[in-house]
Amino acid sequence: MAVPAPTLSERLMNWARLKSPWITVFNSGACNACDIEIIACLIPRFDVERFGILAKGSPRHADILIVTGPVTLKQASRLRRVWEQIPEPKYVIAMGACGADGGVFHGLYHVMKSVESVIPVDVFVAGCPPRPDEIINGVVACLNLMAEDAKHGGRAWSRKIPAGAGSGEVVPREVVL
Amino acid sequence: MNEPLTLNFVTETMKDFGTAEQAGRGRIRIVTTSGRIRDAVSACWSKLRCDHLITISSADTSTTIELIYHLTGPHRTVISLSIQVPKERPEAPTLSDLLPPAGILERQIHDLFGVVFTGHPGLKRIILNEDWPENEFPLRKDWKPDPDTFYGGLKEEGL
Repeated sequence: MAVPAPTLSERLMNWARLKSPWITVFNSGACNACDIEIIACLIPRFDVERFGILAKGSPRHADILIVTGPVTLKQASRLRRVWEQIPEPKYVIAMGACGADGGVFHGLYHVMKSVESVIPVDVFVAGCPPRPDEIINGVVACLNLMAEDAKHGGRAWSRKIPAGAGSGEVVPREVVL
Repeated sequence: MNEPLTLNFVTETMKDFGTAEQAGRGRIRIVTTSGRIRDAVSACWSKLRCDHLITISSADTSTTIELIYHLTGPHRTVISLSIQVPKERPEAPTLSDLLPPAGILERQIHDLFGVVFTGHPGLKRIILNEDWPENEFPLRKDWKPDPDTFYGGLKEEGL
């Protein structure tokens, strides 16, 4: 099914989003090593701001949410609430071994299984903690995903469609302005 | 003025509350009971110049829960007051009116071990999540997470 051609304002918004993604970091119970590596991204040695990547304090200004650490039971509802505040289109990067499956905290009485059991995750960055260049690599992978989604007109093309839920056609996007 | 306390001096001063022993260099341990802990802390404050509560450590010894109050002062000697409370009825008097920082430590111990500190003004949850079930104390040795119990957080959703 053909995707409707994007309007000028949509093309402009997609271009701006790819040129300068704004990021918010949420610590859902990490040991702070991942957070220190994110700070290392911001200092002059790596300086991600020269690529237009800007760390924002508020999730309402962000395009990408970086989640560090396993999700403790106390943080799970908070993480969900932060994720719901981000405007569409939103992307989630789960950092480190803890973000993927709990890491050394896997199976503890006080943590959820993974970040993905609370919110949908687009990119996993491996490492404990990941190096700053690996974090930048993860953000670039997320930007490639954003570019693909913009080309296909929404995120539906990459989503798994449950069995018996339709013909498998790409659903046309909802234009939200 | 600020010389370390000697074992003889501490033994003499605290002889009403239990026997003192040298637990290490600069550390003196006194085993007392939960009924005398408030008087013992007051005596430490007034006679031994222990004006600083470092922490309250707690351990599960299968039949009792051991609480150790670590106090120090300008003399830099650590006085450890140890009490045992029975596990069936874990109750200890609060120290939050004598030493206000004890209040938050007692809330932690109440949360994780289930010790009830009588007289505490606000014994609420502090570490565990708000929807954690009652009467589940995860740091007790005989506690195991029950796979059928919902311990709060979010239910898994098919995302």
